[in-house]
Amino acid sequence: MNKDEVLVTLKNIINTTFDINYDVVESTSAEDIDEWDSISHIELITKMEEHFGVRFALGELQDLQNVGDMATLVIEKAA
Amino acid sequence: MLFSSYIFILIFLPIVLLGYFFITKYVENTNTAKVFLILASLFFYGYWYPPYLLIILSSIVVNYFLSKKIVQTKSKNLFYFGLVFNIGLLGYFKYRDFFLDNLNYLINTDIGFAKLALPLGISFFTLQQIAFIVDSYQGITKENRFCDYALFVCFFPQLIAGPIVHYKDLIPQFAKEDNKKFNFSNFNLGIFIFVVGLFKKVIIADTFSGWANEGFDHTTVHHFISAWATSLSYTMQLYFDFSGYSDMAIGLGSMFNIKIPRNFNSPFLARNIIDFWTRWHITLSQFITTYIFTPLFRSFKKLTFRNSLISVFITMLIAGIWHGAGYTFIVYGFMYGSALVVNHLLKKRKIKLPKWLAIFLTFNFTNIVFTMFRAHSISDALSIYKGMFGLTFLKLPKGIFSKDFILSIGAEIGPYMNNDQNLNLILLIICLIMVMKAKNSGEMAKNFKPTLKTSFILSMMFVLSLFGINRVSDFIYFNF
Repeated sequence: MNKDEVLVTLKNIINTTFDINYDVVESTSAEDIDEWDSISHIELITKMEEHFGVRFALGELQDLQNVGDMATLVIEKAA
Repeated sequence: MLFSSYIFILIFLPIVLLGYFFITKYVENTNTAKVFLILASLFFYGYWYPPYLLIILSSIVVNYFLSKKIVQTKSKNLFYFGLVFNIGLLGYFKYRDFFLDNLNYLINTDIGFAKLALPLGISFFTLQQIAFIVDSYQGITKENRFCDYALFVCFFPQLIAGPIVHYKDLIPQFAKEDNKKFNFSNFNLGIFIFVVGLFKKVIIADTFSGWANEGFDHTTVHHFISAWATSLSYTMQLYFDFSGYSDMAIGLGSMFNIKIPRNFNSPFLARNIIDFWTRWHITLSQFITTYIFTPLFRSFKKLTFRNSLISVFITMLIAGIWHGAGYTFIVYGFMYGSALVVNHLLKKRKIKLPKWLAIFLTFNFTNIVFTMFRAHSISDALSIYKGMFGLTFLKLPKGIFSKDFILSIGAEIGPYMNNDQNLNLILLIICLIMVMKAKNSGEMAKNFKPTLKTSFILSMMFVLSLFGINRVSDFIYFNF
């Protein structure tokens, strides 16, 4: 799984979770999307975990600044 | 030792800076500089009351060996023991008196007990270590050396009242070669942020504290203007005190080439309560979101919107109670919890207000909640609310209006208001404009250039602050 593939999947998950149609790129963060707050963030994380078959530690969630960070962590975890 | 004291600024800090960079330059062994910082930090801590060194040291030692075992064995029992140990230690010192008071009241007894003084910083160093235990259990920390762990807990800039830092963000910075060399631009930036923080604390916050204390100690005599002046004075005091403290911590870190995360980001420009908590005491919000809200919400079988709101509400109650034992803190948590629930409901319906109205409402709500936070009791807070919302007679301060004018419109002259109150009102207006319009310290630091003009203004602020230190007072968050 390379980063581009993960990003494409992430883009879909983000748009379905928040029920929006946003052009998600690596630098996209919660600040860019109104619907993305602490509550919907957990839904997003849970969907990501289910989809990629990984489990994030609590301490890792805080460091996720943007979609790029999320993709990197998914790859790291899935390896 | 207080950051805003002569002994800290003129003696402790210069000695520790010189000592630290001397060691990093001339001593090969990298642990020596860390041990030096640990000893200096413990001296800084023990300067208040040496016996409390025993508490922080035992907390560090127990947590260190516990987390080491947890990393090795992944034992669930040890993990729970770690949580119970830390929460128990915090609970014992923070809530024992409150519990006994209520017990005496409920079963009508009179069990005598000596009141406990809260060991400084215990709320903060306990939270940092809880996060470390959780991270250890979840496999994202590695085994550490004791001196790294001890430095993480007791590094003096962030020891007493945050910002809350994480091991992985703090300790690797000490190992970087570049960070071991004295760095003029970091040092200048550090001085800049430190002096801005010192000025906020000593000149602004301590000035408002006089009015806030006066007002909260005389809650029976409030009327419209004095009630608003009292509550706004406290809100300004709290913001300038705590953000000033955080600035000083960040500035001190920078002098040692260590980045400490920012804790405030123009909170009074928040457009709603969700937004407010991303700008106010940021490192605590992140801690409670990560380590309380997330596991709580995920403990529900279904991640429904309703369950998320229940989790938000309980989390804010816990955050309120974390601040201290007392019904006002429970109500404080309840108010913020309810507000966040309402906020999320409105957001779901996509209801949006004009920007100015959103900021106005959010600011006023936080001002009302902080009044509860500061009041000695719920009934004291209620009597200030009564004054603020016109349920008592309108009484005007003399000085602004002539006595005849006041009497002619049928109002009265307030009993405790005097000319000093005019200064209070003027400063309130200036500071309100400042927190809404001026750049915050984080933004100023980004554009910082050590020009002649900046250094002149900074020197003036520093000298004024040094004179102001005479009326030294504790930082508000030392009590939590």
